[in-house]
Amino acid sequence: MPPVLDIDHLSTHIQLRKSVVQAVGDISLTIEPGETLGLVGESGCGKSMTGLSIMRLLPNGGHIVEGSITVDGVDVVKLSEREMRDVRGNDVAMIFQDSLTSLNPTMTIGKQIAEQVRRHRSVTRKVATERAAEVLGIVGFPRPRERLANYPHQLSGGQRQRVMIAIALSCDPKLLIADEPTTALDVTIQAQILGLLDDLKERLGMAVLLVTHDMGVVAGRADRVNVMYAGRMVETAPTKELFARMHHPYTQALLGSIPLLTQERHERLFSIPGIPPDLTEPPKGCRFAPRCTRATDQCREVEPALEPASTDHWFSCWHPVDGPIARVVVASPTAADANGSGTGVTATSVGGGAAPAPLAPAAIVPERQWEAGADDANLLMIDQVVREYPVTAGILQRRVASVKAVSDVSFTVGRAETFGLVGESGCGKTTLGKVIVGLEKADSGNVTLRGTDITKLGERELRRFRRDLQMMFQDPIASLDPRMRVGAVLREPMQVQGIGTHKQQEEVIAELLSEVGLPMNAVERFPHEFSGGQRQRIGLARALTLNPQVIVADEPVSALDVSIRSQVLNLMKRLQQTHGLTYVVISHDLAVVKYLSDRIGVMYLGKLVEMGSGDDIYHHAVHHYTAGLIATVPEPDPSRERAKSEIGIRGELPSPVDPPSGCRFRTRCPAAQDVCAEVEPPLRLFHPGHYAACHVPLQEPMPEDGNEPAVSAVSAPSGL
Amino acid sequence: MTAYLIRRFVTSLIVILGIAFITFLAVHIIAPSPGRAVLGDRASQAAVNAFNKQAGYDQPVWVQFLKYMWALLHGNLGFSYKSNQTVDSLIIENAPHSMWLSGISLLLSILIAIPLGIFQAVKRNSVADQSITAFAFTCYSMPQNFLGLLLIGFLAISFHLFPSEASQSEKIIPYITAVRANFLPILTLTLTAVAAYSRYMRSSGLDALAQDYIRLARAKGLSEARVLRRHLFRNASLPMITLIGLSIPALLGGNLVVENLFNSHGLGLLFINELGNEDFNTVIALTLLGGVATVVGNLIADVALTVADPRIRIS
Repeated sequence: MPPVLDIDHLSTHIQLRKSVVQAVGDISLTIEPGETLGLVGESGCGKSMTGLSIMRLLPNGGHIVEGSITVDGVDVVKLSEREMRDVRGNDVAMIFQDSLTSLNPTMTIGKQIAEQVRRHRSVTRKVATERAAEVLGIVGFPRPRERLANYPHQLSGGQRQRVMIAIALSCDPKLLIADEPTTALDVTIQAQILGLLDDLKERLGMAVLLVTHDMGVVAGRADRVNVMYAGRMVETAPTKELFARMHHPYTQALLGSIPLLTQERHERLFSIPGIPPDLTEPPKGCRFAPRCTRATDQCREVEPALEPASTDHWFSCWHPVDGPIARVVVASPTAADANGSGTGVTATSVGGGAAPAPLAPAAIVPERQWEAGADDANLLMIDQVVREYPVTAGILQRRVASVKAVSDVSFTVGRAETFGLVGESGCGKTTLGKVIVGLEKADSGNVTLRGTDITKLGERELRRFRRDLQMMFQDPIASLDPRMRVGAVLREPMQVQGIGTHKQQEEVIAELLSEVGLPMNAVERFPHEFSGGQRQRIGLARALTLNPQVIVADEPVSALDVSIRSQVLNLMKRLQQTHGLTYVVISHDLAVVKYLSDRIGVMYLGKLVEMGSGDDIYHHAVHHYTAGLIATVPEPDPSRERAKSEIGIRGELPSPVDPPSGCRFRTRCPAAQDVCAEVEPPLRLFHPGHYAACHVPLQEPMPEDGNEPAVSAVSAPSGL
Repeated sequence: MTAYLIRRFVTSLIVILGIAFITFLAVHIIAPSPGRAVLGDRASQAAVNAFNKQAGYDQPVWVQFLKYMWALLHGNLGFSYKSNQTVDSLIIENAPHSMWLSGISLLLSILIAIPLGIFQAVKRNSVADQSITAFAFTCYSMPQNFLGLLLIGFLAISFHLFPSEASQSEKIIPYITAVRANFLPILTLTLTAVAAYSRYMRSSGLDALAQDYIRLARAKGLSEARVLRRHLFRNASLPMITLIGLSIPALLGGNLVVENLFNSHGLGLLFINELGNEDFNTVIALTLLGGVATVVGNLIADVALTVADPRIRIS
C-alpha cells in the first residue's frame, strides 16, 4: 500500500521584514495508512511549520522553497490554491492546540461542523446537520442532537477539543494532523482525548501525524517518532527503539531533562546548556553542536547527513550515543522515606547502554547547609482556609450562590521544605497560593507565618510581611513590566520596602544576577530581550530580592521548553539549599511537583483530598483521585505507557458553584458508594505524615488513637 | 435579560436626572434673572422684577428645579420667550431635519466603513491600504468646519456641482427629497465618521484575522471569501457596535458645526442661535436632549451587543 503522506526533502522558509527564517530544512518523512507518527521537538524547531506546510496554511511570508508533499498520490505543493481547498478538510484535516480560540465564538458548533460537510459533499443543509450530530456522537457527546445549537463558550475545554476533532472527522480524512492537541488540557482530559484519537484511528483507519513537545504523549501513542531540532530531522525510529536506543545526543538530552515520576528527587536533572539557534542564521555544521557536549571541530564545520542505523532507525550525528542517560531511579516502592537520603535507591540505565563520560549521572545534591532554628517545623501554617467568590443575579444583584474555590484547607510547611500542590485546573490551587502570599483575603481561616497570622494584618503591616512571602508566576512574559529594565524590576521591591541605599541595592542586584546565572549587563536590558528561561530566572531573582522565607511558585516551569525547564528546576533546588528557602510549588504537572517537593498535597474542587511525601502519594496513593491522576500522567517510557489500559479518571470537573454532596470526587470515582454522597470524608492518617479523605480508601488507615481528630495532626513535624 | 434591562433603565434614569440638575444649575448661575434677558436692557428694574415674580424666577433654585422637573415629567419643556413659542414645538419643528442628517450619515458611514476596514485588514500594508489610511487620517484630523469649507470651495464654488447651502425647506418631506442640496452636509458628516470607523474596523479586523478560528476555517477548505464572510465579518464587527453607540451623540454634536456651516434647519443651528440669545429654556432642553441621546446610545449599544455576541447573552 502506498504511504498516505510522503514528504520528500521539504524546506519551508518564512520571509520576515529583513531576514529569512529557515523554519523547516530538508525534511523527509512518510506515514503509512493507519499509522501514528509522532513529531517531537521544542518550540521553534519547525514541527508545527511542517504540519502547516502539508496543509499549505503557512503564516504570512511563509512559503515552501523546495521538496514535495505527496498526500495519497498527489503532490500538494503543485496544486493550485483552488485545488488545494478541495484537499483541506477533505483528504487532510488538522486540529489545533487551543480549542477556545480555534472555534468561532459567534457560531453554533453544529453550524461549524456542517459547514465543512457542505463544503466537501454536495448535500443539503439537513443532511449536513445530520452528519454533524453523527460525528458529535462519535467523539463522545451524549445526546449530540441537543448539542448542535451550543456555542463554544458553553462547553468545557475538553468538550471543545472534541468538537474540533468532530470537525476534522466529518469528511473522513485519510490523514489527521494533530498539532499539540492536548497541550492546553488537564492530564485527566488529555488522557481522554488521546484515548479518543487512538480509538478513532482504529475505527476509521486514518493515519495521524501527532505534533507535540511532550515525550510522554508520543511514548504511549505513536508507532514511530521523528525528532526535530532547529528545523532539521535529527532522528527517526520506531517508538520503543527510539526511547531505548537513541543515537542522537539531542534525543538523549531531551529525554534526560524530563523529571520522571520514578525519579530519585535529590538527583540533579540533566540539562542542555544554552538555547536553540536563531534560524535566520543557522550554524554551519551540525545545528546542535553549540549545545552538544560531544561536539568536535568536525561537528562545527560539516553537517552530518541522516544515516541509517538499521532499516527503520535513522539519525544524523558524527558522534552518536547509544541509549539514554543513566538515571537514579527509585528501584522498588519501599516504605516511604521522607528524608529521601538515598536509601533504597539504585542507579539503573533503562536502555542498558553505557552512558558516555560527559553525560554521567549528575551528583546527588549535598545536604542542606543552613542553620536550623526553633520554629522551623511550623514556619508556615495554613489553617482551615476558605475562599469563595460570590455569584450575583437579579435586579438588585443579590448574592445567589458562590464559587467555592478553596474549602477548608489546612497544612503546615516547615523551613526549607517544599510543599507541592497538585490538581486539575479549577481545583483552587492558584487561589490558595494567592491567599498564602496575601494577594487574596481568606473568607475564614488563618495563614500563620512564624507565629503571626497574616490574615489579621492591616494593609501596612501586611506590606512589611511581604518581604517574607514572595510569588513566582507562571508566565514570565506577562508578569514582568515590558517597559521596565531588569535592573528596575529587581530594585523596585527594595525601594517599596525602603531597604538600603542606592549603592547597596545595586550590590544586591549584582549578587542576585550572578546567583541565577544572568550576565551583569542584564540590568540595562528589557524583559523582551531575554528568552523564556532567562525571563523565568529574572522572575526568580525578583522573588529573591527581599530575601524571603517563603516563595509560592505558581506553575514555575509550565511555560518553558523541556530543556530550559530542567535548568530552572535545578536552579530552584540550588537556591533552596543556599538560602534555606521554603517553597510552595503549585502545578498541574505531577512529575515536576514530585521532583521538587518533600511533601505533596492533592487538591480536588477546593478540598485537600490527600497529603503525604512524594513516595506516599506516588507509590501508596490512598485516594482514588490521586491514583487516577497518577495513572493519567503520560510518562516518557513506551512500555509503561502501553501497559496502561484504562483511561484514568472519567468525566470532567463538576461546577465549583454547586459541588457534589459528601465527597466531592464521588461523581467521578470508580469506588463511590452511598455513604460517599451523604457524609463528607474526614482526613485520616494512613501512614506517619500521610493523610487522605476517603470513605473507601485504597489501603487501610492507621488505627486512630484516642479522640484526637486527624486534621489537627497536620501540624505534626513533617519529614525534616 | 429583563432584570438586566430594568437595572440598566433605572441607572440611565438616574444619570439623566443628574444631567438635568447640573444643566439647570449651570444656566441658573449664568442667568440668575431671566427677566432681564427676556425684556431687554432698556426695561425698568420694576418690570424685570415683576416678570421674574410672575414666572416664578424669584423662588429658591431647588424649588424652581422641582417645578421644572414636574413640568418635564408632563412633557413640558418650558416656553421660549425669544421665539415666542413652547420649547416642545421648537424641538418638534427642528428635530426631523437633524435626525435625517445624522441618521443617513450614520447609515452611510457604517455601510462604507465596515467593508472598507475589512478590506484594509485583509490587504494590510498594501498601497491601497496605505492610501486609505492616509485619506482617513486627513479627514479625521481636520476640523469638521474646515473639511466642510474645503468641500464647499471645491464642489460648490469651483465646480458648481452642488449648492453651498442645505435645503431651506421647513417641511421634512421636501427636505429629505432635496438630495442635491443636502449632499455636501451629508458628505461632511459621513467622511468624518467613515474616517474614524474604518480605522477601528481595520484594527478589529486585524485582531480577528490573527485568531485561530480563521486558520481553522481555512483548514476546512473554505474559500477565502467565505472565510471572511462567515467567520471574520461578524466577529470583527462586534467592537463596532459599542463604538457606534458611543458616537451617536458625537454625530449630533457634528450637526452643530455642519448645520451652522450649511445653514440647515435643525437642533444644532437652533442651539447655537439660542445660546447667543440667552434663551435659557431652549438651551437647557437641548443640553438635556444631548445627555439623553448619550445615555440611550449607550444602552442601545449594550443591548445590541448582548444580541450579537452569544458569549455575553444574558439568560
